[in-house]
Amino acid sequence: MKIDRRCFLSLGIGGAAGLALSPIPWKLADDSAIWTQMWPWTPVPADGEATYVKSACTLCPGGCGISVRKIDNRAVKIEGMEGHPVNDGGICLLGLSGLQLLYGPNRVKTPLKRAGERGEGKWVKITWEEAISEVAKKLGDIKEKGESNSVACISGSDKGTVPALFKRFLSVFGSPNFMRMPSIQDSYEIANNISLGFIAQTGFDLEHAGFILSFGSGLIEGWGSPVRMIRANSSWRKAGIKVVQVEPRLSNSAAKADKWIPVNPGTEYALALGLAHVIIRKSLYRNDFVHAGASGFIRFRDLVLSNYSPDSVEKITGIKKETIEALAVDFARSERPVAICGRGQGKSQGSLGEVMAVQALNVLVGNINKEGGVFAVNDPAYIAWPAYQSDAVGAAGIKKERIDGAGSGKYGFAKSLTNRFAGAVNSGSPVSLLFVLESNPVYSLPDTKDVKDAFKKIPFIVSFSSFMDETALNSDIILPNHVYLERYEDVPATAGLSKPVVSLARPVVSPQFNTKHAGDVILLIAKEVGSPVADAFPWKDYQTCLEGTAGDKWKILNKEGFSSDPAFTAQVVNISPGRFDLSGGVADLSILFTPVNSEEDSKAYPLFLLPYDSFRIANGYIGTPPFVIKTVEDTVLKGKDILVEINPATARANGLSAGSYATLKTPKGSARVKVHLFEGIMPGLVAMPRGLGHTAYDNYLAGKGINVNELIGTVEDPASGLDAAWGIRANLIKA
Amino acid sequence: MKEEQSKEKVKKFGMVIDLDKCTGCGACMVACMAENNVPFKEDESKKLDSITWLRIYKLTNGKSFPDADICYLPRPCQHCGGKGDHGHSPCVSVCPATATDYNKETGIVSQIYTRCFGCRYCMAACPYHARYFNWWDPVWPDGMEKYLSPNVSVRMRGVVEKCSFCFHRYQLAMDKAYYEGRREIEETEYQTACTQSCPANAIAFGDLNNSGHAVYELKKDKNAFRLLERLQTNPKVYYLSSREWVRRAGDNYLKDEKK
Amino acid sequence: MDSALIPRGVKRCPTWQFALWIGAAGAVLLWGVFAMLLCWFKGLNQTNMNDSYGFALWIWADLAVIALGGGAFFTGFLRYIVGKDELKNIINYAVLIGFICYSSALLILAIDIGQPLRGWFIFWHANVHSMLTEVAFCLTCYFGVLTIEYVPLILENRQIDKVPFFHRLGHNMHEIMAVFAATGAFLSFFHQGSLGGVSGVLFGRPFGYREGIFIWPWTFFLYTWSAAACGPCFTIMITKITEKVTGKRLVKQNVIELLAKISGWMIGTYIIAKIIDTWYWAKVTAPAAGFNLMDFYSNNPFYGIWILVLEIVICGVVPAIILTSEKGRKNPAALMTAIILAVLGACVNRWVMVLQVMAVPVLTFENWVMYYPSWQEVATTILPVAYGVILISLSYRYLPIFPQEQELNPEV
Ligand SMILES: Nc1nc2c(c(=O)[nH]1)N[C@H]1C(S)=C(S)[C@@H](COP(=O)(O)OP(=O)(O)OC[C@H]3O[C@@H](n4cnc5c(=O)[nH]c(N)nc54)[C@H](O)[C@@H]3O)O[C@H]1N2
Ligand SMILES: Nc1nc2c(c(=O)[nH]1)N[C@H]1C(S)=C(S)[C@@H](COP(=O)(O)OP(=O)(O)OC[C@H]3O[C@@H](n4cnc5c(=O)[nH]c(N)nc54)[C@H](O)[C@@H]3O)O[C@H]1N2
Ligand code: SF4
Ligand code: SF4
Ligand code: SF4
Ligand code: SF4
Ligand code: SF4
Ligand SMILES: [Mo]
Repeated sequence: MKIDRRCFLSLGIGGAAGLALSPIPWKLADDSAIWTQMWPWTPVPADGEATYVKSACTLCPGGCGISVRKIDNRAVKIEGMEGHPVNDGGICLLGLSGLQLLYGPNRVKTPLKRAGERGEGKWVKITWEEAISEVAKKLGDIKEKGESNSVACISGSDKGTVPALFKRFLSVFGSPNFMRMPSIQDSYEIANNISLGFIAQTGFDLEHAGFILSFGSGLIEGWGSPVRMIRANSSWRKAGIKVVQVEPRLSNSAAKADKWIPVNPGTEYALALGLAHVIIRKSLYRNDFVHAGASGFIRFRDLVLSNYSPDSVEKITGIKKETIEALAVDFARSERPVAICGRGQGKSQGSLGEVMAVQALNVLVGNINKEGGVFAVNDPAYIAWPAYQSDAVGAAGIKKERIDGAGSGKYGFAKSLTNRFAGAVNSGSPVSLLFVLESNPVYSLPDTKDVKDAFKKIPFIVSFSSFMDETALNSDIILPNHVYLERYEDVPATAGLSKPVVSLARPVVSPQFNTKHAGDVILLIAKEVGSPVADAFPWKDYQTCLEGTAGDKWKILNKEGFSSDPAFTAQVVNISPGRFDLSGGVADLSILFTPVNSEEDSKAYPLFLLPYDSFRIANGYIGTPPFVIKTVEDTVLKGKDILVEINPATARANGLSAGSYATLKTPKGSARVKVHLFEGIMPGLVAMPRGLGHTAYDNYLAGKGINVNELIGTVEDPASGLDAAWGIRANLIKA
Repeated sequence: MKEEQSKEKVKKFGMVIDLDKCTGCGACMVACMAENNVPFKEDESKKLDSITWLRIYKLTNGKSFPDADICYLPRPCQHCGGKGDHGHSPCVSVCPATATDYNKETGIVSQIYTRCFGCRYCMAACPYHARYFNWWDPVWPDGMEKYLSPNVSVRMRGVVEKCSFCFHRYQLAMDKAYYEGRREIEETEYQTACTQSCPANAIAFGDLNNSGHAVYELKKDKNAFRLLERLQTNPKVYYLSSREWVRRAGDNYLKDEKK
Repeated sequence: MDSALIPRGVKRCPTWQFALWIGAAGAVLLWGVFAMLLCWFKGLNQTNMNDSYGFALWIWADLAVIALGGGAFFTGFLRYIVGKDELKNIINYAVLIGFICYSSALLILAIDIGQPLRGWFIFWHANVHSMLTEVAFCLTCYFGVLTIEYVPLILENRQIDKVPFFHRLGHNMHEIMAVFAATGAFLSFFHQGSLGGVSGVLFGRPFGYREGIFIWPWTFFLYTWSAAACGPCFTIMITKITEKVTGKRLVKQNVIELLAKISGWMIGTYIIAKIIDTWYWAKVTAPAAGFNLMDFYSNNPFYGIWILVLEIVICGVVPAIILTSEKGRKNPAALMTAIILAVLGACVNRWVMVLQVMAVPVLTFENWVMYYPSWQEVATTILPVAYGVILISLSYRYLPIFPQEQELNPEV
């Protein structure tokens, strides 16, 4: 017994000592340190050769140059391209997140054909040949019935060769119905058409302006070419250039401005006319430029002098008359003052009256077509393709009235009225086949329900989306495009630029999935549809088309990544002094300047819902990537709840407090929201960000917040046919 | 003589962020995430477990409509020099496992992920909330790990991470310089990802000790201030603002105290 | 069934009853173990901790338990070094409670760190400037000492004691126990202090930061002092609870009263020091950083300044007055109230110095946030309690913990 125990003890102690002296515990300890950094679920990025590829970002109309860092065949980081005329090394958060789109879970990986009900998400994979012949067959049938004009296309943009190919396809085929997604440029175009007599875009040489008067434009929140605008803002800060922001809400742009002037929403036009009143009354306008003898000016002068005195403008806008007087003088006496409008990022069209009233200010101070001023800019000039021959059906089809009415009758000045598309389809204009290119109309057009109803009425929808967005989800066939990092494409940057730039997107990596360039796909469809459509597309493939189109600029595009040669990109249109017809050339000025407002019941809806744009939420075709959604403050999105901004006074009046739930009701719908109190918003308003409330996309985005488009509708501007709504009547009830 | 020489060589990398230029656009935040393999989760709205080496704060002046004002303030790690700038940063001095270190050569406060055992004492020490704990395993959706950079380790669950002033970029620049037979690098050769991305050029980065670098003069601006200077943390990140209320928000003051 | 293991001359409940009791405690223990495993395998996302509450319920429990376990070192110090001989009648239990507290503390630490497998880095890659390094070393050493103090108790079990080797080992260990008690007291002095230093050195956290001498902030000394002051109260409290549960008197009142009196004077002096410290901090240290006292309390939506009143007045001044007065000690209700308040006081102090330090916003544009522990945190915090109950039950049943038990319960 004794010996046993001793034996046992010495064995135990000896064993322990032996073990401690052996490498085992030390090895185990060391291993534990290694294990904890080598869990198989923690990825270890492979190293390799680092290279950079110059390309262009297409995620917004900004047109930035990018430089993508690669390790072997992987793209690992997107950076701004140094020396690029738009962004010179800077880049925005969306552009930085491009790789999350490229490698993201939401890519459509192969052509898909709908298997279940629309929107159900049931698909069968098909080959490219099957997909193309299916679409071509549908087109053939339509043509046979002589209904070629019932084919339509909604495109994110109408600039560049790919949209041009689609537009050309429709034209040869026999349909005038090529539409682009709405933006403030629609209004600027019509304004130019009316006051100058020709279609042109408006460009601003903001970098050299001497005073900036912004009517709600989110100058640093993604307006126009976002990176370029932010850079311009920095140059204003440095040079001490004064910026005045007129807006009902303290946006970032308002906060950054030297002066923020809160204005009753929708009455910006009146302020502009009030300022014109003061400028004219005090004779501060440029007599030589305005050509005071012109009949247009006389009518304009009479209108503003009689109807828009600071006194009456104070009543409309809520801005003190002294402020108006002082601002007008400040503006008119500054060197190179520029007035600019287009709410938020400029993705809504706005009232024509407002655009023209604001443009009138630029004309009055004569800051047109000169450094630091406002320019009329042609569409990019480099796309010049040979004429084509249509057949009889095609020739007849193209002459028919557009579905959205643009270009004829009272919409004679408009080029595209996508805002009217859903209404037209719902009231009986037949669309038998719809192409959707680089856009997500089911999500991003206002009055979502109306849009969805319209889509239900369209028998065949073809999506070219790279991503499973809401529109793709509601289509019949998806022909997935390469994403921009996998393809060649010309990227014209025009948004608000006085000197447009064309950049070249090029494949940074080889296509990750079984996708095809939309440019190639439309060529293949044309071939399959046959003569005469096929004959209008003489190119072997898109690449040949692009190179041919770029001509002798191809080399430079390839080498530098961009061209800003005006001979190639776009021309500034010469405007002689006095050329502007300030009266707008429209007989009934009162219609032109009628404030567009929702006419719904003000008792049931005592508040106004004001959608706003945030740089940290993408609200167009591109869904907000995970990195970007991570930057969204918890006062905007908390879990799945969206927060609306209201003034504490509004909260008190409605029995609400910070963080409480409420039901937001508008004539278009209602939604459960959370309340965020913000002293920077005018009492009586409820502000909601655009870009949330996706039902498609991945788990990083879908189901978060509310899509404000479901709560708002369109209000047709009587003068232009564009959507002039800036918001909608609303109520906020404690939930 | 010898001391003089070494003093001259000592670099002190730092930032000057111009809040008058900063638009709060968030590019710097994302540039940092993209550069440094920062993970993300499905719900990032709980900001207290959301890893953002560079966080942009939205400051308000506390006044009511229409006198309200806001200002954005990007906050990377301040790379504190600690009392007397001797390198005893609040966080470095407390880490029991020497998993975070003050680099005397560059003034950069490092974080060694494989050394950190996740006690979070450093987080308690940092008044800037610049340190983030990996509460979750980093998970990338299938295929997305392709964009991960090999220059920065992917962090495992259970360790603390923070802004490194993109130290790997310094290493790469130094490597290149040595390879080319140089001992020193130019200002432009080492710039952080956030600085590079900022569309507003609001961030200047460089050697605070080097009179040839932009930050050298910028930090002396009359509108320059640092966060919580009174705590003697000695941050290497300076801010510029022409607005008095913003400058005052940078530190705590007793009610009757004038700045 | 297990009567051969039970010390001679004392009565213990029937085996089935004991088994039931252990079973109940065991179930709670398993619940805690389950939560602990969740935390280890799934990570600390199982908790409600976050970047503002990186130190939360656990670290509080840890510090509280260590403070209260201070009864062991201080009683040992009084018994072996100062020579208060009566305390031999409670020292065993003090040691056992201390052992439970410290082993629990170590376990909690192993759950609390993000990379438990790397826990040993704190020793291997030690940073001598860190208070936590000091804590880790002293804590581990002191746990060793407590083990050494506890082992002779185990060896006194009737069956183990029969083995001559163990008998002699136990005897010899008793002989040199004063050395260990002294070592223990020394180690305790340091790690209690280092724990106080943990928040005291945080010069970036004006709520926790304190001036001091050399490298030691005042909290260093206050922690040691408060542990010494309140630890014995915890020993008394657990003793009283044990007496309630077993339905027996186990320690003579004079022993309790002696310990309570010493404790009272310790609390009294401690609370004076604490008030001076708070005053100096509120008047000099914090204002230098731009803070008024109320800045630290007014934003807190839950308890505000009341937590300071609770800690200092209700759980400090009140028990000090009761315990230092003869009348107070003699009145059982007053005595118990004071004991409980003192224990609570130590807990509140540790709560404040752990959770508030990190949660009080320092940047002017940050806000107070609230934190609620998750069930996993609660379960793992209760785990040591269940473990303590089990260890106490086993020790009480099989070991001669209370030398006076036989004398006080003569009927057997
Ligand atoms: N050019 C150059 N060479 C150097 C140095 C330098 O500064 N420049 N420094 C020298 C020094 S000091 C050192 S320590 C060495 C370091 O040399 P390495 O050990 O090669 O260091 P890294 O390149 O940092 O990391 C190596 C690989 O580990 C991967 N990795 C990241 N995290 C983990 C993980 O958790 N687990 C595993 N298994 N892998 C991971 C990384 O993706 C990377 O591919 O280099 C030395 N050589
Ligand atoms: N972001 C990031 N951070 C990291 C790491 C990482 O991979 N990524 N790695 C970590 C690791 S493993 C390490 S070791 C550290 C390295 O961190 P550091 O030690 O700071 O690294 P180095 O930059 O390699 O070297 C330090 C300095 O040594 C100087 N030097 C070179 N040769 C000599 C010499 O002969 N004499 C003297 N006096 N000086 C000389 C160089 O000029 C340089 O400034 O960084 C750590 N931090
Ligand atoms: S501004 Fe537009 S074009 Fe430029 S990087 Fe951002 S998303 Fe891309
Ligand atoms: S990128 Fe520049 S402008 Fe944008 S938030 Fe960061 S510092 Fe400010
Ligand atoms: S900011 Fe925080 S993490 Fe960075 S050095 Fe200072 S104390 Fe450390
Ligand atoms: S969490 Fe990591 S870095 Fe921070 S103190 Fe602990 S071991 Fe050091
Ligand atoms: S310096 Fe580098 S690590 Fe630090 S915030 Fe900027 S990008 Fe991130
Ligand atoms: Mo290293």
